[in-house]
Amino acid sequence: MDTLLPFSTYSFFGHNILLLLACSAVLCGLSGVVNLFSKTSLLPRTTTVLFAATILLFLAGFVGIGWFHYQVYQHIVLELPADFAAMLNQQLTLMNRGAEYGLPLYNAESPPRYVLPLWLENEKYYFWFMCYAVMAFIAHLCLQQHRLQAALHILLAVQVAVLFFKTDPFLEPLPKFFAEVEPWFSSQMSSGQRFGFFMRLYPKMTFYYNAHYMWFHPPLLFLSYACITITFVASLFMLVKRDVDIEKMGYDYAKLGYFLLTLGMLLGYPWALKAWGPNWWWDPKICSSIMMWAIYSTYLHTRLYANKAAMWYFSSVLGIVCFLAMIFTFLTSFFFPGEHTF
Amino acid sequence: MKKTGKKASLDYYLILATVGVLFAISAICIYGMFYFKLAQIHQLPAPEKMAYMNWMNAVVSPFLIALILLLGICVPKRLLPTAWMVRLAVVLAGAALGVWFGFGGKAALVAVLLASLVLQLVVLGMAVTGSERLHFEKSGYWVRVGSSLVHLGIILFVLDVFFYQNPQLHLVLFWVTTGASVLGMLFCFYSKTVVGLVRRLTCKG
Repeated sequence: MDTLLPFSTYSFFGHNILLLLACSAVLCGLSGVVNLFSKTSLLPRTTTVLFAATILLFLAGFVGIGWFHYQVYQHIVLELPADFAAMLNQQLTLMNRGAEYGLPLYNAESPPRYVLPLWLENEKYYFWFMCYAVMAFIAHLCLQQHRLQAALHILLAVQVAVLFFKTDPFLEPLPKFFAEVEPWFSSQMSSGQRFGFFMRLYPKMTFYYNAHYMWFHPPLLFLSYACITITFVASLFMLVKRDVDIEKMGYDYAKLGYFLLTLGMLLGYPWALKAWGPNWWWDPKICSSIMMWAIYSTYLHTRLYANKAAMWYFSSVLGIVCFLAMIFTFLTSFFFPGEHTF
Repeated sequence: MKKTGKKASLDYYLILATVGVLFAISAICIYGMFYFKLAQIHQLPAPEKMAYMNWMNAVVSPFLIALILLLGICVPKRLLPTAWMVRLAVVLAGAALGVWFGFGGKAALVAVLLASLVLQLVVLGMAVTGSERLHFEKSGYWVRVGSSLVHLGIILFVLDVFFYQNPQLHLVLFWVTTGASVLGMLFCFYSKTVVGLVRRLTCKG
C-alpha cells in the first residue's frame, strides 16, 4: 500500500499545514482572551488578518485532502481477472433480481474505483471546523462587537487544538478505510479469496464511499453545525446583554443552520433506504437528530416573541440548548449502537 | 385594538403549545435512544426491530397529531378568521379521537393528516393567489407562501413515513416534501431577497 500512495508526502505536507494552523489559531485565541476582558477593541486589523490567514491555511489543507483522495481514485482499483468478471456479473444479476436497490454490474474496461468524499473519518472534523472558521469570519466582519469577535476567536482556537492534538487527519490518513482495503493488495490472496473479498468491498463502496448522497448529507450537516455554534455564541451574549444586533446575527445564522440541517437530514432519508432498507427508523442517531431538529424548530418559534422579556431569555437558553443537542447528537454515533455508529 | 391584543395573545399561546409538543417529541426521542441501547434492539431479528419501530411510531403519533392540529391553526390564522380555525381544529381533534377509539391510532393519524393536507393545500392556494391585503411584491406575501409550504412539507413528511411500505408513492412523496420544505424555508427566511429577485425579474420582463 505504501508504494501505491504518497503517504509520507501527504503526512509531511498536512502536518506542517496543521502546525501553521495551530500557531495562527493560538495567536487568534490569545487575542480573543485579551479582547474578551478589554473594554475596547485591541489590534482589530491584526486579528482580522490573522483570522483570514487561518482560513487560507484551512483551505490549503483541504486542497491537500482533495489531492490525496485523487491519488486514492487513481491507484486503488478493484480489478478482477476477466474470467472472474463474467462469473461476478452472473452472481450480481442473480442478487439484483427482486432487490429494490441493486449493485451495478462489473465493467472490466472501467473497474470500480473509490471516489472518496472529503469528510471521511478524521477529515470530517477538519471540514466541520473549516466551515466554522469561514462562518465565524463572516460574523467577525459583519458585526464589529469586539467581545463577540473575541469569543468566536477563542472557539476557533479550541477547535484547532482538538484538530491538532486529537483528530489530525494527516497523521495517519483514513485508517479504517485502508484497513478495509489493504488485504486486496496482498499478493498471498488466492483468486477465490479475491473474488470473495471483492463481494465484501463492493457493496460498501457502492452504498457508502461512492454514494452520491455522501457529497450532500454530511457536508450540509457540518455546515449547519458551524451555524449552530455561532448561534450558540450569540445566545450566550444575549443572556448577558440585551443587544438587538447580536440577536439578529444569531437569528440569521440560526435560519441558515436550520435550512441546511433540514435539507441535510432529508437527503439522508432516501440514502438510508437505499443502503440499509426499511429497518433504520428510530435508530438512536435518527432519534437524536429528530430531537435536535425539534429543539431547533422550538428556538425559531420562540424567537418570534423575543421582544418579550421572558422570551428573550428563553430563546437565548434555547439557542444554547440547540448547541448542546448538536454535541449530544454528534456524540451519539460514538456511544449508542445503530447504523450510524463510528 | 382590543381584537389585535387578543389575536396576539392567541398567537403567543399557540407558539407556547407548539413549543410544548416539540419538547414532548424531543423527550420521546431521548427515551427511544436509551431504550434502543439498553434493549440491544440492533441485535434483535428483523420482526422484533419492526415491532420496536411500530411501538415508537404509536408512542409519538398522539404528539404528531397535536402538532399537525396546531399547524392547522397556526398557518391559516392570518388568512382565515381565527375563531373558525379554532373550531375546525376542535372538530378535527374530536373526529381524530373518535377514529382512534373506533379504528386505532394509525387510522386517526391518517385521518388527521389527510384533513390537514386538504386544509393546508387550501391555505397554500389562498397564500399564492393572495388575499386583498397581500401583494406578491411584498415580503409578507412570500413569508406566508413559505410558511404554508414548510408546514405542508411537514404534513407530507409524516404521510410519507406512514406510507414507507409503498416504495413508489413513498419516494415521490419524499421528493415533493423536500421541494416544498426547501422552497418554503427559502421564501420564509429570505423573503426580502426573494422580493428583490422578483422585482428585478419583473422589471426585466
